[in-house]
Amino acid sequence: MTGVDSATNGSAAAGRVAQLNPAAIAVYAFVAILAAGIVFGAFMTPGFLTINNFSAILTSAAFVGIIAVGSTLIMLSGSLFSISLGTTTAVTAILFMFMLHSGVAAAAAVTLLAGTAIFAIQGALVGLIGANPIIVTIGAGAIQEGVIGWLSPGDITPPPGAGIDFLARTIFGLPFSVYVFLGLALVLDLCMRHTRFGLELYLLGENQPAAHAAGLPVALLTTAAFAVAGFCVAVAGVLIAGFAQNVNLQVAGTYTFDAIAAILVGGSAVTGGWGSVGRTVIGALIIATITDMLLLVGASTGMQIFVKGLIVTVVVVLLHLARRERRSP
Amino acid sequence: MSARDDTSARRTPASRRVRTSMPYVLLAIMFAALFIFPLFAGRRASAFNVYDALQLWSAYGLVALGVGLTMIVGEFDFGVLGVFALCPMIAVKLGEINLFLGLGAALGLAAVVGFLEGAIVAKLRVHSMPVTLGFYIALLGANLAIGNSQSVSFSNLNVGFALDARLAIFSGRSIIALIVFALVFVVMRFTRVGRDIRAVGGDRRASRMVGVAVDRVLIGVFITSAVCSALGGVLLAYSFATALSNPGLYPLQFAVTAAILGGVSLVGGVGGAVGIAAGALSLSLLQELFSLLAAPTYLSSLITGVLLVIATFVAAPNLSAWWRSLRSPRPGAVAVASAVPEPASK
Amino acid sequence: MPDTPLALEVRGVTKAFGPIVALNNVSFTLRRGEIHALVGHNGAGKSTLVKALAGVVSPDQGEILVNGTAVTLASARQSQEAGIAVVEQELSLVPALTVLDNILLGRVGAGFRSRRDDRRRVEELMTRLGLADVGPDTVVEDLSMAERQLIEIARALSRDARILILDEPTATLGEREIKRVFAGVRELASAGSSVIFVSHRLGEVLDLCSRVTVFRDGRMIASRPAAEMDRESIVELMLGKVAEKSKVERRGGGAREGLVVIDRLSAPGHVTDFALGVSGGEIVAIAGQVGSGASEVLRALAGLVPDARGRVSIAGRPMRLGAPQRSIRAGAVFASNDRKSEGLFLRQSVARNLLATRLKAVSRGGVLSPGLSASLAQRLAGLIGFDRKRLGAAAETLSGGNQQKVFLGRCLEKEGAALLLFDEPTRGVDVGGRADIHNLIRHAASKGACVIFASTELDEIMDLADTVVTMFAGRITRIGRRRDMTAADILAEMTHGATNRAAA
Repeated sequence: MTGVDSATNGSAAAGRVAQLNPAAIAVYAFVAILAAGIVFGAFMTPGFLTINNFSAILTSAAFVGIIAVGSTLIMLSGSLFSISLGTTTAVTAILFMFMLHSGVAAAAAVTLLAGTAIFAIQGALVGLIGANPIIVTIGAGAIQEGVIGWLSPGDITPPPGAGIDFLARTIFGLPFSVYVFLGLALVLDLCMRHTRFGLELYLLGENQPAAHAAGLPVALLTTAAFAVAGFCVAVAGVLIAGFAQNVNLQVAGTYTFDAIAAILVGGSAVTGGWGSVGRTVIGALIIATITDMLLLVGASTGMQIFVKGLIVTVVVVLLHLARRERRSP
Repeated sequence: MSARDDTSARRTPASRRVRTSMPYVLLAIMFAALFIFPLFAGRRASAFNVYDALQLWSAYGLVALGVGLTMIVGEFDFGVLGVFALCPMIAVKLGEINLFLGLGAALGLAAVVGFLEGAIVAKLRVHSMPVTLGFYIALLGANLAIGNSQSVSFSNLNVGFALDARLAIFSGRSIIALIVFALVFVVMRFTRVGRDIRAVGGDRRASRMVGVAVDRVLIGVFITSAVCSALGGVLLAYSFATALSNPGLYPLQFAVTAAILGGVSLVGGVGGAVGIAAGALSLSLLQELFSLLAAPTYLSSLITGVLLVIATFVAAPNLSAWWRSLRSPRPGAVAVASAVPEPASK
Repeated sequence: MPDTPLALEVRGVTKAFGPIVALNNVSFTLRRGEIHALVGHNGAGKSTLVKALAGVVSPDQGEILVNGTAVTLASARQSQEAGIAVVEQELSLVPALTVLDNILLGRVGAGFRSRRDDRRRVEELMTRLGLADVGPDTVVEDLSMAERQLIEIARALSRDARILILDEPTATLGEREIKRVFAGVRELASAGSSVIFVSHRLGEVLDLCSRVTVFRDGRMIASRPAAEMDRESIVELMLGKVAEKSKVERRGGGAREGLVVIDRLSAPGHVTDFALGVSGGEIVAIAGQVGSGASEVLRALAGLVPDARGRVSIAGRPMRLGAPQRSIRAGAVFASNDRKSEGLFLRQSVARNLLATRLKAVSRGGVLSPGLSASLAQRLAGLIGFDRKRLGAAAETLSGGNQQKVFLGRCLEKEGAALLLFDEPTRGVDVGGRADIHNLIRHAASKGACVIFASTELDEIMDLADTVVTMFAGRITRIGRRRDMTAADILAEMTHGATNRAAA
């Protein structure tokens, strides 16, 4: 652990070794098997070990990853997750496309602001009055669908000569979105590890009554966590608009559950207080890799999704067991 | 004289009365709206519209019942989306061979799914949200795999006709749904199990202390939730003679909204089958109103969303604490050194 | 009546929680039809014995016999099957359910009576306890604490238990309600059941019970007929050899500034009309048992009670109640009595826990500075006597005493902290740790801060306090200098009725 703990001695490591138990061993075993499976599959699957393929994996992980790393803050701070991630992604994509007639910079600025605001409002409800985040985000999603349906019934296409090609450009073989994903992940991870804001989010997620009693600004922190997630969602929306010829609400696709799956497979605790943005990146990559491998061997979409669900369930259960054993009464 | 002599605490607080009567008031409003609003647009609602609403209700209302039960017991079940997708597919595919085989297999699968979810949540004490989310994704994937990412049609159209045959405002489907709701109502209200369900949701620790079989209750609820949702989906699939490849999020949106409007509390322990039925019916009537007015679909999303946000506001646990804290008086300019007993220390 | 069969016999039971021996070779007998009091100061072992009988903890050694047969009480269910019903301090009612549902909840071996019979029986019970105007269909959430307590008692009575254990049942009840409960209990006893009445309210004990057993430090000290005892003799037995005067003479306090004035503080349902003035460097103890309001006074001052009202000022500046941030800004620092759920961040490191409330001081421009964090963490660790090498360990791996030290360490050496509020500062801490913590508190006071702590530990109050405020049923019963009071005085105040008696 860095930040506060870097300068203190790591005698905790000695303590941790002494805490191996059946469930933890199961987790390590699972990870090992998974890794072995991936490596094995890597060699066995035709076309896997190519630059093109790695690029494809990163690309497919990028959009989901951008959304996921932002949403990790929501989970770490103890507010579970938003069920309308995909919806807001679509909304911001549509907004960006629509605003392009005012120029790229203006469109991007407005979109990012809008995404942040949409999420911040939900965060304020959750933080101030303790509203249930799942319900609030379901409701917010429905409202957004309604508003978009009202304002722009059809597809939105970019005006000619909009100058957004740079969004879809590849640099050194990787699309722009991958760099954004990794860059954003890095920034957020550093922020969570080294800033006061990040530590306070962790504390809030770990034990809300304690944080409240210690005087931490619970409502503000929750709103901020949501706001960051909203910003990331908007970034994804802008990038997606850059890729697509036209956008509508269907853009939402499966982003919501894919992003949540990425966070969960990464291993962050669903109740908050434990985990990291880095883990989410790994989770996103694992899912993308396995999906890619399945694709290469000809597995159907359904099969890919099925395996994804299986991984999520198994990881969540095993990690919970390992953590529970460690914290025996 | 004790500081706690406040006998005023006997009255049922207004907030609870609002919550228990809300589903029925809302239902009455929706009924009225259905028959009044179209008049302004030159149309008229008829018994057919009520029948149509009940058709919708019989599919998604059962999902609401499932989700609502898990909320009452203090958990949450994303898996209903999964069984709502997969079980009708099984019912259709196997139903080609034999109708009851298909039905049985579908409901059987739902029961197994519910059992697994419940066992993991109860015995392993894992948080229900991520687990059921994983189940949902896996089940959706299985559905896509089996159906080859396409909706599958059902050749047996007679079942659909039978299920949809109109009996006044009812149909076979809505009667089946009604029976299920009635069964759950009886169990919740008149049996020990019902009481245990609300106890487990209201205060799990106290329930365990007092000897309630918490684990069995949880597993039972998850099984019921899955089976109800599956039934709703199967009835819908037989009726339309199609099993969808991906029903999307709509069933969950409907179910959660219906449950909350039906008086189910987010903290657990409060709510019942009748309330959920009323909430689901209100939503169905609203949908019917929109289609009668040929209103655009976005309006229904908008209004459902607004209803949900208002409902969470009302149900928020910190709301009263926040309000009371805001009302705490600001201190005056200078503190008064009043007749405070100063201990002459030292 | 030596020939009456024993309803309950506890033989040589020992139970230790780590290094703390809660019950030490305890033997105890309960006769049929007897109402037997169990008294003893905090930590004497009463609650552990009750938990053992309720099936919540298992003794390490010894055996328990019910009606002459040895039983294992490893679960609540087994305890119920053995005919034992317990009314604990922490209520086990489900607020969302009705009275009727709560009373019937979890009942073992029931189900043959019709619903109407159940309802009638419950109504009878409730009338007997004076709750006739509360219908069986009232939701428990709507009832006052006193009414809930009575429902809990009604539930125990409805189980037809042979052995009824009441653990501090009257803490929230008024005079009239207490009379009803006693009437119900006496009826039960005359019908052949036996009752164990655990309480610190000696007046009630002598009124109700036929036999009194005194516990101290995990041992059974004496067991005599109530007729042979009075309040003074019981108090003497409870205290044992505690010195009348504290061993450490407190020096005069520090500077006079930092005056804290509290006036007309109230928390609805818990505290009425609390008023107090504290000088800089003074240590005030609020002595009161559970339900007396001591803890709530501190929480109200800490801003954790949203509807607390009253006037508080620190160093002349008024402080607004209702939110923790307001109190912190005004210079109040609070440590709750529940370090696990409201204090420590168990999965985080000790260093992070220590610095949790002063992250601003160790960050520059929002970024945490490892250097500042390390130095401050190490300084605090040194202050509380915590091994610096273990600063990186997770808080959950520490012993109770160390956890408490870390928790309190968070409150110390804080810039601008003029009022320190400690709720049960040495709960779950062994003797050595306790001494350390007391030194910490004295040190903090000597720097000029005002300290108010709530405690149920007589030793602690005698050791640490300059001023003692005793509370009962939400009000102050007495304020005095510790110098002028003996342990017996304080204990008598806490156990109801002493001031009345003094007046008589």
